Amino acid sequence: MTTNTIAYIIEGRRVRQRRWIVVTSILAVLSVVLCCAMLMLGNKNYPVQDVLRALTGEKIKGVSFAVNTIRLPRMLAGLMAGFAFGIAGHTFQTMLRNPLANPNVIGITSGSGAAAVFCITMLHASDTVISIASVIAGLVTTIIIYLLSNNGRSFSIGRLILIGIGIQAMLDAVISYLMLKSAQYDLPVVMRWLSGSLNGSKMNELPPLVITIVIFAPIIIMLGKHLSILELGEQSATSLGVNTNKTRIALIVSAVIMISIATSITGPIAFVAFLSGPIAKRLVGAGFSGAIPAGLVGVILVLASDLIGQFAFETRFPVGIITGILGAPYLIYLLIRMNRKGDL
Amino acid sequence: MKATHTFQAEQTVSGYENKTIVQGISLSIPSNKISVIIGANACGKSTLLKTLARLIKPTSGSITLDGKQIDKIPPKQLARVLGLLPQSPIVPEGISVADLVGRGRFPHQTLFSGWSKKDYEAVAEAMEIMKITELANQNIDELSGGQRQRVWIAMALAQQTDILFLDEPTTFLDITYQVEILDLLTDLNRKHGTTIVMVLHDINLSSRYADHIFALRKGLLVAEGEPSKVITSELVKDIFGMDSTVIQDPVSGTPLIVPIGRHHAKPVTPAAPASPVSPVTSVNSEAPAPASSTPSKDPVLTY
Repeated sequence: MTTNTIAYIIEGRRVRQRRWIVVTSILAVLSVVLCCAMLMLGNKNYPVQDVLRALTGEKIKGVSFAVNTIRLPRMLAGLMAGFAFGIAGHTFQTMLRNPLANPNVIGITSGSGAAAVFCITMLHASDTVISIASVIAGLVTTIIIYLLSNNGRSFSIGRLILIGIGIQAMLDAVISYLMLKSAQYDLPVVMRWLSGSLNGSKMNELPPLVITIVIFAPIIIMLGKHLSILELGEQSATSLGVNTNKTRIALIVSAVIMISIATSITGPIAFVAFLSGPIAKRLVGAGFSGAIPAGLVGVILVLASDLIGQFAFETRFPVGIITGILGAPYLIYLLIRMNRKGDL
Repeated sequence: MKATHTFQAEQTVSGYENKTIVQGISLSIPSNKISVIIGANACGKSTLLKTLARLIKPTSGSITLDGKQIDKIPPKQLARVLGLLPQSPIVPEGISVADLVGRGRFPHQTLFSGWSKKDYEAVAEAMEIMKITELANQNIDELSGGQRQRVWIAMALAQQTDILFLDEPTTFLDITYQVEILDLLTDLNRKHGTTIVMVLHDINLSSRYADHIFALRKGLLVAEGEPSKVITSELVKDIFGMDSTVIQDPVSGTPLIVPIGRHHAKPVTPAAPASPVSPVTSVNSEAPAPASSTPSKDPVLTY
């Protein structure tokens, strides 16, 4: 009897695990295909072999410059930012058990942006200072939202989201004010922080993002099991032996740093952090960790949207416009659904 | 059989923010037995349970497991001895029953390990005990309230702790499911020796299923012991502020509380044969309205 039960459970898990592996592999392949497309497509399209030769250092007239100086940094920025946004968004959404509880929606990205814009326009600070300030501002915003939504005895996620949306509006007003006050020549740098774009990504800007992802993505992936326990709520998590405060802080700090550093390079690419988690979860199911699939969905969203923005229309649109068009209807749909369920 | 433990609370005071609810309770949980904490709404029974299960930090006093302060024991190690089913656990969306039950294995797993053979065995055993094997690959969203509650208990069982705390495991369930859940928990205790401590709302089911009763009033322990010794109409009056008469449960022989309201008293006729209810006559005429002190949500009043 028991052996039958075990076999039945093993079989069920194997089916779900196979689905996870197949879907994740497809997402990975799709990401690679999009990376290649980012390198091959442009004003002039180059075949794969030319791109590869250019990448390995061979000098080919025209190709080398376009691929190595323009397309490669653009592709890498999109790849890493998409991955960072996807994983970080998934972390917040799972931990707070709500797709709306997302750095893009509850003002954390705006907090980072406001600090960055302040440093650029008022302090004329260096890039390093700007990045550090944006990470700290992101964390401070998180803490403020958390404290405000915690009215003494009860903590409600619905309240956290509403307060976050309010804080977001306030911070966006601060950003607008700073921009009005700023010098004309600062505006191009400022704009980077406000709208998501891969235009003008440069190789020498990428190392901080590489380091961030190499350090913090593994932390989040390793804590996947802890995250799935946190999802059961404070009481269950505590009685299962999770140190809820430490785990939550580790996850939040990792996610906010990844989001802030990625934002400092590509700007807040609208809704990527918001869409990736739910799409990934729908694709792989709920039983296994969604961090890696969510990161890959983020990559696909960013790269595909950038390609669409570059080539699908008469004028070229930055990637943030395309993801914005994709994400806004989903946001409205979620708000309506949550309102019906009485979650807001 | 599960190991024997000594689990003690010493002058424990706890509560929320600046509100003290448990006002200093000392108790010792009988090992390998079923204990039930009873008391009126807001008397602190749930807070006491949460404090014992280390969800709330006591403001003073100590709680010890085998002589060791529970907050000094590493959380994962403690989670292998002590499990808790919260009153309203949160259901993650779209998860299958087996995967959810498997999350109870967390304290036995390391950072990178997948499910070991032991994990599968524990999950299978827990699901068999709770009779939910055939639901294994179903989505938890599709289950009824009674089935879900069994899944949650199975998750706590997969944790394979010697001591299991349950916070009102039968609330919101039909009477059929209440009895079923309590029967399953009794099986668990009798077959495996699991020490069970739970908060129950229904005092009659409590006195039937408990080996040991802890009766609370306003954050203090007012009585404890075997139900047949502890449950009296005086105690019921004391903790619920309600007049009642206590008879023998015709099924189990345990004490059965019959509340005395302001209405429905049987007219006393001299011809009536001596029934266990007859002592009522002396109090029923001037019995105060009990509903004012005990909210009507209490199942005791609704049956």
